[in-house]
Amino acid sequence: MTAGDPLWFKDAVIYQLHVKTFLDSDGDGVGDFRGLTSRLDYLEALGVNTLWLLPTFPSPFRDDGYDIADYYSIHPMYGTMEDFQAFLAAAHERKLRVVTELVLNHTSDKHPWFVEARSSRDNPRRDWYVWSDTDDKYRGVRVIFIDTETSNWAWDPVSKQYYWHRFFSHQPDLNYDNPAVREEMWRVMQFWAQLGVDGFRVDAVPYLVEREGTTCEGMPETHEVIKFLRARLDTHFPGRMLLAEANQVPELVRPYFGDGDEFHMAFHFPLMTRMFMATRLEDRGPLTDIIRRTPTLPENCQWAVFLRNHDELTLEMVTPEEREFMYDEYARDPVARLNLGIRRRLAPLLDGDRRRIELMNGLLMSLPGSPIVYYGDEIGMGDNVYLGDRNGVRTPMQWSGGWNGGFSSADPERLAFAMISNPVYGYQAVNVLAQERSSHTLLNWMRRLIRVRQSTRVFSRGTLTLLEPPNQRVLAYVRAFEKEQVLVVNNLSGTVQAVELDLSQLAGAIPVEMFGQSLFPRIGTQPYLLTLGPHAFYWFRLRRL
Amino acid sequence: MADESLLSDDLLRQLMATGHVDILIGVPTLNNAATVVDVVRAAQHGIATYFPRARALIFNADSGSDDGTPTLVRDATTDDTGTVSASRPLRTTNRITTPYHGLPGKGSAMRVIFAAADLLSADAVVTLDPNVTSVMPEWIPALAAPVRDGRADLVAPRYPRAAADAPLVTQLVRPLVRAAYGWTLSEPLMGEFGCSRPFASHCLELSGIGTGATPEGVDLWMVAEALVKGFRPAQAALGPRLLGASRKRPALPDVFQQVMDAVCACLELHDSYWLPRGAADPVPCFGTLNPAVEPGPRPDVAAMAETFARDVAALHPLLTTILTGPTLARLTAAAATPAQLVYDDDLWADTVFEFLLAYHRAVMTREHVTRTLLPLYLGRTAAFLMRHASSDQATVDAAFESLCLAFERAKPSAAAQWTKA
Repeated sequence: MTAGDPLWFKDAVIYQLHVKTFLDSDGDGVGDFRGLTSRLDYLEALGVNTLWLLPTFPSPFRDDGYDIADYYSIHPMYGTMEDFQAFLAAAHERKLRVVTELVLNHTSDKHPWFVEARSSRDNPRRDWYVWSDTDDKYRGVRVIFIDTETSNWAWDPVSKQYYWHRFFSHQPDLNYDNPAVREEMWRVMQFWAQLGVDGFRVDAVPYLVEREGTTCEGMPETHEVIKFLRARLDTHFPGRMLLAEANQVPELVRPYFGDGDEFHMAFHFPLMTRMFMATRLEDRGPLTDIIRRTPTLPENCQWAVFLRNHDELTLEMVTPEEREFMYDEYARDPVARLNLGIRRRLAPLLDGDRRRIELMNGLLMSLPGSPIVYYGDEIGMGDNVYLGDRNGVRTPMQWSGGWNGGFSSADPERLAFAMISNPVYGYQAVNVLAQERSSHTLLNWMRRLIRVRQSTRVFSRGTLTLLEPPNQRVLAYVRAFEKEQVLVVNNLSGTVQAVELDLSQLAGAIPVEMFGQSLFPRIGTQPYLLTLGPHAFYWFRLRRL
Repeated sequence: MADESLLSDDLLRQLMATGHVDILIGVPTLNNAATVVDVVRAAQHGIATYFPRARALIFNADSGSDDGTPTLVRDATTDDTGTVSASRPLRTTNRITTPYHGLPGKGSAMRVIFAAADLLSADAVVTLDPNVTSVMPEWIPALAAPVRDGRADLVAPRYPRAAADAPLVTQLVRPLVRAAYGWTLSEPLMGEFGCSRPFASHCLELSGIGTGATPEGVDLWMVAEALVKGFRPAQAALGPRLLGASRKRPALPDVFQQVMDAVCACLELHDSYWLPRGAADPVPCFGTLNPAVEPGPRPDVAAMAETFARDVAALHPLLTTILTGPTLARLTAAAATPAQLVYDDDLWADTVFEFLLAYHRAVMTREHVTRTLLPLYLGRTAAFLMRHASSDQATVDAAFESLCLAFERAKPSAAAQWTKA
């Protein structure tokens, strides 16, 4: 899969999954690579072309695998390295690319590097982490997991110094001022790239380097580290992709693309938040605002856009008023709130409203960027906020209405996470098998949606021009790539809307609705009147015949 | 139900694009370029600060300004996120500026505003006077919140009034309307107000509002309709109401005539309601009044008193056909000493009600009746200002209240005479 278009990631439709909860092949209650491999046909049929796997490394699992104890192998519960390689080969056979996690910023405190480092102040690995005699250094740097941690420093009783951690205290930060650390992480990348991994989703990018008197986020030296790794990757493994997790506003994420010599992709976090905000406000303002604020990227770069993922719906980048609004609308029950966010899946966030789910996915697939579908959201899975931390959105995939939802043959009590079993979102009601039996299910609708999106490169590579109809409940834009143009019109509200669009620049074009191939009246110089049902959206391919 | 003929196709398109709103802020304008920008900005700031989640529309109905008022309104509200407000509404604040068909005047403007509110199913309507320079963002929640909360259908303003501030209101309209209609409403000539959609729709169904009446007539008519038809009234304490200096104000005789015509017309229309009403019921007031502000240089009370004394003598033949003997005698006695003029509350209340009866009976042309009352009003105002030249605000407020009670005492007798007539 390494051959071909080096910009393949621009045309990617990414499916994010947790091997742990996707399919258990050996009945131990935990998903594994053999199980995942057996479901590649399902993913191929869904229409996605890239898989992003959450961490599968050996780990004490105090942060669901993001606390890595060994970067060079697979956790035995997920299978063997041979199982992983077989999965990789099977995915590539189906033209599915595979992106894995690269947690650069920190390790588990059980990682041998840290065990060595803390063993004495003279240990050669001591300088692989960030130590201090006091907890006064980098004073004022924000704590990210405010619900759990009170400081970015933790006391190590063994070596009697504080160590720096931006996330949980059991995840000490690596010291990227030490060249040996950079070389080691390159070796990690090299190891997986040689196996055939197509890209790396790089966790917690802004926090690699610390400097006194700053926010310790996005330091110039952090960019040096990224450039170093990117240059090595391009040289030795051309066509591999780096995807940045930098939970910041787009203006601040833009530097992580560099001049096209840092990350190929980065998540667009605020776009996600604004989609939820705009559809609940029934007002396009939040979306048009963030779209206008989004900087242009180098030609060889792309945004990664998503609705939900394995973390909470972040509300870090909104005003206090907006955050209160989002809590009121999407997380009235305080138990659904975590840190500065909401730990819910897509369907429960949208009250299971099929029209709103479709609209949100329509936005996801038609706005600039490569879309990411979070596993289970294609069938409208629910969540379990009572599982603690973010585990409630990482429950087992619901394949059928049978034993453990078809996820595992283990006793239900043994599962990695309990199945969702309530009457609304439980596996008996929401599952793949049932949804494959009818053409009107969400699953089959999602398949059609992805197929239509992939029928043109206008969505993946095209420009976007916002239209400004007087009706604020309607978001309309024109996507264009080479000779193709697509007009997208979204009704963000739950009521029927009429909208007049100034399409005089497109006069003469014939709109063809892309899902049903229905012809609409030719565009003229007068305002173009459309009516849209609640939460409806149209994609029109504009033909000139 | 909205009368679609009010709405041009262009306006209808704009309303269609706006859709349902939670709050509609109406600004009827006619050549208000000097003051309207601050009014609109205050409205926008009020929405952003106090109703950040609301679907809001600032709706400017313009009577054909030739001083660029509509453009100023549009420009003043163009930037939702600029320096106008430290806060920012979550939703887009919609803006519509439209001319309207029909007779020019506040009545027609209000009809268009209410039609828009009706079509857009606005939960609350707030109307602002574009001439007022003291509009504050806080006025928006003060007028809208009681309606949105379901506590009122009509929220009239309550301004802090100094002794010399708006005497036509404090000396005449307030006590008369309160005594007649039986509600302790401070500002029947509202200027600014908030109302519910049912009330807006009610006004829209009636023909009275859109006949090109004077602003005072429209305001008073709406208040009276609300009271008579059982809409729940309330008051909101606002700050001082200051008018722009550049505003071209009509001469006092014209204003007085218009106000009296409006008051009398309403009383004629609603006599079956107000005649049996007893002592005034309290109208709840939300908020706390700020200190009053002197409206400007005090009027020349000596000249007013001289005018009063002179005209009482000159108009004596007319006054004998309007006033009863005892009232005329007391009035003549008061006019004898203009330098130390005393025109007490009871005499003023009797005077007004007897003029009202004369108007009702049409003992002469009604215009003559009201014009004859004007010098007496000047005398009463002069006497009040002389007495309270150095009074503190509490004393002035107590005097206002005392006057209202005098009107309430005088009403039963007048009501009996009205019925006989």
